[in-house]
Amino acid sequence: MQTFIYGMLGLPLVFAFVAISGFFNNSVLHILNRTIATIVGGIFVKMLMQMPPGEVFNSEYFYLDALSIWVLLIVVVLYVASAWVSKSYLVREHKRGYLSRTPKLIGRYYALYHLFILTMMLVLLLKNLGLMWVGIEATTLISALLVSFKFTRSALEATWKYIMVCTVGICLALLGTMILYYAQLTATGTEKALSWLWLSQHGDLLNPSLTKLAFLFIFIGYGTKVGLAPMHTWLPDAYSEAPSLISGLLSGALCTCSLYVLIRNLIIVIPTIGTAFIMDLFFVFAFLTIAIAVPFVVVQRDIKRLLAYSSMENIGIMIVGLGIFSSISVGATLLHMFNHALIKFVLFYIAGTVIQEYQTKNMMRIHGMVQEAPHTATFLLMGMFAILGMPPFGLFFSKFNIIFSLFKDGQYLLGSLMIFLLAGILIGILYHVMRMLCGRAKRKAYADLLDHTDTPFLAVLLIGSIIVGMGLERIPYLNSLLLEASQIVVGGVHI
Amino acid sequence: MEQLVMVLLFVAFLQNRIMDLRKAVACLCLQSAIIAGACLISGFANGSGLHSVLPGLLTILVKVCLIPYALFRLVGKLTDERELVADINTNYSTALSAFFLMLSYVLVDKMLPGIGDRDIMASSMGLILIGLVLIVMRSRAIMQIIGLMTMENGIYLLGLAMTEGLPTVIELGIFFDVLVAVLVLVILTNRLNVSFMTTDTNVLRRLKG
Repeated sequence: MQTFIYGMLGLPLVFAFVAISGFFNNSVLHILNRTIATIVGGIFVKMLMQMPPGEVFNSEYFYLDALSIWVLLIVVVLYVASAWVSKSYLVREHKRGYLSRTPKLIGRYYALYHLFILTMMLVLLLKNLGLMWVGIEATTLISALLVSFKFTRSALEATWKYIMVCTVGICLALLGTMILYYAQLTATGTEKALSWLWLSQHGDLLNPSLTKLAFLFIFIGYGTKVGLAPMHTWLPDAYSEAPSLISGLLSGALCTCSLYVLIRNLIIVIPTIGTAFIMDLFFVFAFLTIAIAVPFVVVQRDIKRLLAYSSMENIGIMIVGLGIFSSISVGATLLHMFNHALIKFVLFYIAGTVIQEYQTKNMMRIHGMVQEAPHTATFLLMGMFAILGMPPFGLFFSKFNIIFSLFKDGQYLLGSLMIFLLAGILIGILYHVMRMLCGRAKRKAYADLLDHTDTPFLAVLLIGSIIVGMGLERIPYLNSLLLEASQIVVGGVHI
Repeated sequence: MEQLVMVLLFVAFLQNRIMDLRKAVACLCLQSAIIAGACLISGFANGSGLHSVLPGLLTILVKVCLIPYALFRLVGKLTDERELVADINTNYSTALSAFFLMLSYVLVDKMLPGIGDRDIMASSMGLILIGLVLIVMRSRAIMQIIGLMTMENGIYLLGLAMTEGLPTVIELGIFFDVLVAVLVLVILTNRLNVSFMTTDTNVLRRLKG
């Protein structure tokens, strides 16, 4: 098992150095990129085969259980998919986009991209809360270089906001982690400092008021990284200015990783703080996030910012699911993380293609895509239906279960409010999408750029979301993995 | 230790008054040196061997040598070496810092009653908040980086006072992250200078809605 972990972490690192060295030309890098990602995916599958869902792997620095495997599954799926589609994206940007004058930057792009994935996988594999913090901060720094990759004025602005807001937030999380360590010191001594396993087994010994203070800082800190309002100001800027593939990873994988660390901390503090406080805290921030997203979606003109606000809405839903803290809602939240990551990656990729086709981000200047670019239009429509939570896509089931458990918990008012807000999002997004798809084209598209090199992967991700949403009970491994993971969150660890 | 903390607070307030970028970096360097001193003192008091002095030595290497060096080089590339906000701003930020220092004493008394090292805790909490004030009130990119570092120093000192330092592996990771963060910020500031002809962050207001 240790070998697998080193392989998963080592291969992208080696490739990053190879790519930045400039030793190989771009066509070799394209091939190597796909090969490395596929091998890492293969190692992960091998790892899954050796570990039945209920088992844990525990060593000095690494810890793997159903929860981390579930999130790792999301990251690895996105890694493989993004590696396979990145060639067509980069070639198009090379022909007409920002890479046209500087083809050498492709090597740097690959290096940063693999390092980014590497740090995210590292966060998911680590056992120590302090080291998880180090990993999350490292993802911020590497992704900042990716957000500013185009080095245009607006990209620099987005990056500056991103790094300033997130680093301040993450510093607060460090403060919270230190207070948690102090609570651990006073309760059980210096043994196994900040080890997640130790803390989750001895969570009830911690001093309640100290733990509450620590968790407040941790929540604000990682909440900034997840993109909760009112600390979300960096999110639409960073998502809209990053290269489209990276926006998909930021939304799908990085948010999920930060949420994962938040969940790990949550598991520790639940026995001492209790669910009532957590529910209030999470609901306030989650509903604020969804409510702020609605008006910005409705009046939006930039297609990638539209997707960014839709991400905020989905993050809000996940936080609501965590706040309810029943086994149904937590399971639905984990499922929502999976589906949202897949669909959002597809959507950002398609948004990037639309931008390449029309050379504008402004949705008001795009009409009649059905005639001009039928393939892109089909995928855009399907992706948008999926993200809005229409059946049969997976998001329908997870959203439905979260709202269902909200009502089951007796929160009728909040449940109705949530349905009302989601309807607002639906109207806003559908209005924009239908404007883009229908009508008469006033502006010619360059070409229908989606072709056989990338559509299969997008289709697989879309269908994967349908399969996981509808037929989860029929896939024994995934089903028991999800049950086990939500059991870890709700029930804690008692080994 | 108490005397060190007094000097530290003095330096942090001085940071509020300085408008010259070069002097501000020097001030940050001094502040980090004091933190390193505190770290070494607490290391010697609590144990012996490399393990106890390692954080102090690392602080000297990273925060006193490498980061100020990078910032000094960056300032050397800029043509205009002064902060751009109006002078009245220094008075506001000093007043805010004083208020936050008081607030942090109240916070420490409320949240962690009966803890030893009350002054150190309160002043490190104050340092964190002063860092935030600097980030919010200053408009030059370098000044914001200095605010971020001040905040980081405050958190580090708080950790030192509360827990006598985190485990070595985590501390190594944090030092590495801080170093990389400053490097990335220096690269960005350089690019800001190239693209916008200024490092004033007030020009960054195109992305809205």
